[in-house]
Amino acid sequence: MEAKQYIGEGWKHAILIIGAIVVMLPFYMMVSMSLKSQQEIQSISGGLIGAQETQTFPVCVKTGYSEETCTMKPYQYNYWFAFEKAPIPRYLMNGVIVTLSIFIIQVLVALPCAYALAKLRFYGREFVFSMVLFCLLIPVHGIALPLYVMLAQAGLVDTYSALILPWTISVFGIFLMRQFFMTVPDELIDAARMDGMGEYAIVWKVMLPTAIPALLAFAIFSVVAHWNDYFWPRMVITGNRDLFTPPLGIREFRGGIDSDEFGPMMASIVTVTVPLIVAFIIAQKRFIEGITLTGMK
Amino acid sequence: MHNSKAHIWFIAPAIILMIIILIFPLFLAGGISFTDYNLGNKTFEWVGLENYDKMFNRKTYVKMIWATATYVIVVVPISVVLGLCAAMLLNSLRFGADIYKTIFFLPVMATLLAMAIAWEFTLHPTLGIVNSFLANGCGGVREFILGFHWMPWVDSQESWYAVACANNMDFPYWLKQKNTAIWTVCFIGIWQAFGFNMVLYLAGLTSIPRELYQAAEMDGAKSTWEQFKLVTWPMLGPTTLFVVTITTIRTFQVFDTIEILTKGGPSKTTYVMMYAIFEKAIQQNLTSIGAAITVVFIGFILVLTFFQRYVIEKRVHY
Repeated sequence: MEAKQYIGEGWKHAILIIGAIVVMLPFYMMVSMSLKSQQEIQSISGGLIGAQETQTFPVCVKTGYSEETCTMKPYQYNYWFAFEKAPIPRYLMNGVIVTLSIFIIQVLVALPCAYALAKLRFYGREFVFSMVLFCLLIPVHGIALPLYVMLAQAGLVDTYSALILPWTISVFGIFLMRQFFMTVPDELIDAARMDGMGEYAIVWKVMLPTAIPALLAFAIFSVVAHWNDYFWPRMVITGNRDLFTPPLGIREFRGGIDSDEFGPMMASIVTVTVPLIVAFIIAQKRFIEGITLTGMK
Repeated sequence: MHNSKAHIWFIAPAIILMIIILIFPLFLAGGISFTDYNLGNKTFEWVGLENYDKMFNRKTYVKMIWATATYVIVVVPISVVLGLCAAMLLNSLRFGADIYKTIFFLPVMATLLAMAIAWEFTLHPTLGIVNSFLANGCGGVREFILGFHWMPWVDSQESWYAVACANNMDFPYWLKQKNTAIWTVCFIGIWQAFGFNMVLYLAGLTSIPRELYQAAEMDGAKSTWEQFKLVTWPMLGPTTLFVVTITTIRTFQVFDTIEILTKGGPSKTTYVMMYAIFEKAIQQNLTSIGAAITVVFIGFILVLTFFQRYVIEKRVHY
């Protein structure tokens, strides 16, 4: 390789590293603040992790804990106090309940429909498919207001149903699965029918297993979108903390309950953001596939 | 051919849900937008186009259209171009491309609300590392580069950087100042979106056959730029169309960063449509005006997607 090429390669890395630093800035800030003490945060000192000196935290004492309980290292304190202040496990559990329910119902609705559209011949099939194509154009966040009015009239605001119902239909899921099922050979289905399987059994025992790769991509897409969604929960959950999803929990933390202390707040934010990021780093390829393949939404 | 009626049970749930959740709300929003209905009222009156009239004549809503347009017009092109540049750089690297790819994709994955708060602290005038980085650079290389002193027409005493240094480190309060807030929010939008575009472009680049570059070289396109113009850019046409459409639709829906960082302010410079719908309809319970904004919003999105599907799509496929 020529010297010129080395220089070219070096320039590219220089540009990309600057870009990477800018991209990582808020992540650095978030992790660093969740580890440091309030004084270190306010004086912007201590680098990434701070000095980690054992100390007694005044806000903690004021809240009513004994001085002994409140004496520890900053990183321990920040995470411990974040969990003391807010029911973070509850928020995380709500996040899991909501995202999983949405995904399961989406599959239960979309899979049979996609199978019918791809492999069954019936009157009106083209019409149903064009309806799916039309619905693909409608962004659910865009029609949030009329949906909210409907839920309010039904008395469902501030319930799990409000968080889940609007997302039960994924036209994108139907479209994706239908395209996938078109590639499944008819012989497979005919053989299953010869064996005496009914149409229901075919959907769940023959089609579902063949669709696992597409389903996995769709699962990642769906879970990431709804775990991170803030707009919709913010609309329909007004005050009931028991129903808060992780983003709502973060917002409450910032909303002033202990705005005099940033460490525990950032610790709660890190706690909520970490599960997805770790999953992403472990199964990176699948994530990128899932999110871009289905990025059409 | 078979005679079972199974298909009815297979498609019925999907059709019912599509009608209730996706199609009916369109008509409901349209209907409410012609009334004075507010949530909780027992009755309502038809008011014709009054809500739309307000939208296009009252200052607040004119500012809303401006803020939304500014945000979309800034974020879409920059994040698309950055995505393309990043993809092409990564594609030409000998090693290390995967690490950069992971890093650039992180913002797409991370909870945007959490990252907005992290940015708020990063950009904070007294707590943030950005302003302390700038303050420590007064009189040095940072001032020279970021103050644009290297541009011939910039006076090194009068640049924004020099002025801030001279005035006791008076660097912008990025998110609270009228002249910087919208650009800062745009920056966060770009930061979040470009990694997604990069990944789509990387996929697009791998599908360009190598022979095309050899052919171009034989035709005399030797420089990288000429090859880009002749081969890469035209071949990426469909990808670009797809990327631009998705980014536009997502950008129109910006809400999280606005709600947590600026609340539409200062003086409505960041008052984007989704936030306006939320503020008017949910917080102030002005359902009918919220519905009118919804209708305009959906209109924008539908026009855009139709444009993509039926007008341009025919021209970019070969």
